[in-house]
Amino acid sequence: RMSILEYNGAAIIAMAGKDCVAIAADTRLGVQAQTVACDFRKVFKMNDRLFVGLGGLATDVQTVDQLLKFRQNLYELREERQMSPKVFSNVLSNILYEKRFGPYFIEPIVAGLDENNKPFLSGMDLIGAPVYTDDFVVTGTATGNMYGMCETLYKPDMEPEELFETLSQALLASVDRDALSGWGAVVHIITKDGVTSRELKARQD
Amino acid sequence: MARRYDSSTTTFSPEGRLHQVEYAIEAINNAGTCVGILAQDGIVMASEKRVTSGLLAPSKTSEKTYKLCDHAACTVAGLTADANILIDQARLRAGRYSYQYAEAIPVEQLVEHVCNYKQAYTQYGGLRPFGVAFLFAGYDPHHGFQLYQSDPSGNYSGWKATAIGANNQAGKSLLKTEYGAKPEGGDGDEEMKTDDDDAEEEIRVPDVAEALRLAVKVLSKTMDGTIPSPEKMELFTMTLDESGKECVQRTLTVEESKKVVEEVEAETAAAGDA
Repeated sequence: RMSILEYNGAAIIAMAGKDCVAIAADTRLGVQAQTVACDFRKVFKMNDRLFVGLGGLATDVQTVDQLLKFRQNLYELREERQMSPKVFSNVLSNILYEKRFGPYFIEPIVAGLDENNKPFLSGMDLIGAPVYTDDFVVTGTATGNMYGMCETLYKPDMEPEELFETLSQALLASVDRDALSGWGAVVHIITKDGVTSRELKARQD
Repeated sequence: MARRYDSSTTTFSPEGRLHQVEYAIEAINNAGTCVGILAQDGIVMASEKRVTSGLLAPSKTSEKTYKLCDHAACTVAGLTADANILIDQARLRAGRYSYQYAEAIPVEQLVEHVCNYKQAYTQYGGLRPFGVAFLFAGYDPHHGFQLYQSDPSGNYSGWKATAIGANNQAGKSLLKTEYGAKPEGGDGDEEMKTDDDDAEEEIRVPDVAEALRLAVKVLSKTMDGTIPSPEKMELFTMTLDESGKECVQRTLTVEESKKVVEEVEAETAAAGDA
């Protein structure tokens, strides 16, 4: 029997470019080997400059998304300003560690633009241990593949269009060798001027 | 006579009154006035800002108007410290409802929650009641735009137009005559009755712009009759955006408030001449 983190399947990557970030995820929802849906969302927009990608057990993916929206809403009401990506990342880490001995089975990544429009990336394990990088973060069932693809294709300071291409190729190639992820993909490019979202034409197997 | 029965919130007087609750209501009658008016396409809430010292640094954008969630807001009359607790309660409740039902909380349920919380302090625990009255403005798809008033007793009611705080009686009586009255020069009290009218008077619900002017007019009357100054007023509107689905909550800028005040002054001058 496989690990609970591999029960539903996921592949999510976020990359930093020049004054922009991009985050992409597959859209498969499976129950072990059986594919159940190919339009399952794993990347969630928190605001125009902040996205979170949640890989892992699907029920926790949806619950944590709702929890994050709840916490973010309360923050904005009390502080009368938007949450910065770094603060958001910490809130998420906090939520996960609170459940240290009965955790949410997700391993999230956070991608956004900070107050100065500079890219922010972070990833963490299921109990909230964070890692901050300036190039890329990956999560899901194909991380081995994704690390290899990103390390090979990535270069710093890419413009949004090139970032989109690089990220898409990295994700598509990674999921094809993973039985549990794929079946469609979504990519979001975030710049200070807005968000562009595209669906990728992917192998439906 | 009331002395023996007024020190405990949780004791009725022989006349069947809760004196602590009544004293709490008294505390609010010294606070800055808040006026709320239900309009055709939204809600207007105007509040008097009582600036106690020029040295005060502004900590938040408002001491009177507070956003509770995307589709509800409130204005406060009374003890700000007490209000902060209740506002936080309301915000948590709205958030938890959305979390549980993935839907916006119906406005009346939000108001009722806050009021039930207030009521507990009139029946249990030996704690004093909250010295706050609220005007709640909200929108939901079930009942459209709604305006509610609540007081320290935990009682609430829905209104088309109302006022709380200092001189609220004068405010309410002005609203009674002017709300829904037909606009023209001279007094708007009389309405021409034709054979087609029913027994009850037709109320013509104003639009937001008109409601704003009426609110400013009422506020000027309650603010010790001094010349209305935009800096002392906080004007808030709640409307729907073009899609008709999302609420737009706005506090007017000083320039925009000035404009409304000028329009009201022009209206009263014209009415005076007529």
